[in-house]
Amino acid sequence: MIRLYHVFKTYGDKHALRDIELRVAKGEFVYITGHSGAGKSTLLKMLYGAEKPTSGKLLVGGVDASKLSGKKLPYLRRNIGIVFQDFKLIPTRSVADNIGLCLEVLGVPREMIDRRVKAVLNTVGLAGREDSFPLDLSGGEQQRVAVARAIVNDPAILLADEPTGNLDGAMAIEVMEILKAVNLRGATVLIATHDAGLMDRFPHRRIRFEKGRIVSDA
Amino acid sequence: MLRRAARSLRENLYLNAMAMMVIAASLLLVGTFLLALVNIQSVVDSWNRDIHISAYFDEGVEIERRFVVKDRIAGIDGVEAVSYISEEDAGIYLKEKIPEMEAVLAELGDDVLPASLEITLKDSHTAPEDIARIGGQIQGTDFEEVDFGQEWVQRFSTFISLIQLLGFAMGVLIFVAGVFLVGNTMHLVTYTRRAELETMKLVGATWWFIAVPFLIEGLVQGLIGSLIAVFILAVLHSLMSNHLQEYLQLAILGDTLAFLPGGWLLLLVLGGVVLGCCGSILSVRRFWTASA
Repeated sequence: MIRLYHVFKTYGDKHALRDIELRVAKGEFVYITGHSGAGKSTLLKMLYGAEKPTSGKLLVGGVDASKLSGKKLPYLRRNIGIVFQDFKLIPTRSVADNIGLCLEVLGVPREMIDRRVKAVLNTVGLAGREDSFPLDLSGGEQQRVAVARAIVNDPAILLADEPTGNLDGAMAIEVMEILKAVNLRGATVLIATHDAGLMDRFPHRRIRFEKGRIVSDA
Repeated sequence: MLRRAARSLRENLYLNAMAMMVIAASLLLVGTFLLALVNIQSVVDSWNRDIHISAYFDEGVEIERRFVVKDRIAGIDGVEAVSYISEEDAGIYLKEKIPEMEAVLAELGDDVLPASLEITLKDSHTAPEDIARIGGQIQGTDFEEVDFGQEWVQRFSTFISLIQLLGFAMGVLIFVAGVFLVGNTMHLVTYTRRAELETMKLVGATWWFIAVPFLIEGLVQGLIGSLIAVFILAVLHSLMSNHLQEYLQLAILGDTLAFLPGGWLLLLVLGGVVLGCCGSILSVRRFWTASA
């Protein structure tokens, strides 16, 4: 599902990623871990096309993301669900509108959008909160809305960049349970995190980065 | 798309109103210039239609000879009519136009002014080459002077053409400035909505999905802005027509001040729509290339 061949990423004379060789199979659940500045977020940004490798090849869902044009990038992103540490919810839109945005860009009819939004809110434990606004919700609830938005169109790949970074222990576990359930339904899940406690509680493959290199993969 | 455009218009009412005012101001400038140009061109056209050649008889030409010459000239191709103005008629006409000359003429005598022929040309023969041809056929030993009034009309027409060219250049500059002004105003709209637009981009929205509602906003801004400009132009035209009526009749502009013809008005409105759309596209492009 995800394959990196000798990928380098440099910003000026700073090496964010060095010679990354990586394979993630379909349906895997993988932690991308390491200290701040190790290259975790850079890797995720490359996977959803926000950055391009300086050199090397990057295949995402069979698509060469290293050579993707701006016009074709939206079509790659429609197969990827993304969860951010700062949620990236639109504060002036309701929960339903935030989640439905993914389906709106696909041209899904309004009635179907409403049905699927309701169903996914059920999945994340926020049934009945369609008309709430993000600022009316707690941090954990906002992150669950962000997860709901990421999974509403059944993406093949789910990327999460420090999804529990702004949450306390109980909320973090709630979000991880949802991500685990998404993975069990078949999505490939990559989570960038440095929360060792969470990784111990939900053990899966860990790829550790240090100064832009992979130092362990177990 | 329409729903999103309507929502954005509502949520950014102030900025959208500013964009409309910029468009209205730009088009008002262009429209005012066009209005002046249309009226001046109308005057020049009327002068061109009413071309006279004045041929002043030499002092020694007998009266019978004058009428023979008149008949000859009337038969020239392109001549509409020929009128004979005697010395006395010339004196009477001058006294009517310039009453102060009465005393001068009284002292000099009624026959101080030469007799002349006023030759009116047909509408189809007012081009410079026709004037020159007819003038050449008229000139001869019977006349002391043949006056081609067309010369200065032609020079004025050339001047008007130059003004038109300058006006066109000015119009283009105003349009380009308007695009940037509207674009900058719309940039403020995209800036206030950048979080939303960035999220849209991240979940797979194409450029067109994001741009079309802004295009619709630009279209609405352009339409309303241009209608405001046309309305203000109409009010200005009405005020000027009502209050300057007597001055217009005395001045060279003719009896009434014409408004812009329908075709020009449509072009003005279309220009406003294009201005609004271009400004919106500019701002969306700026956002798209700047964001991840």
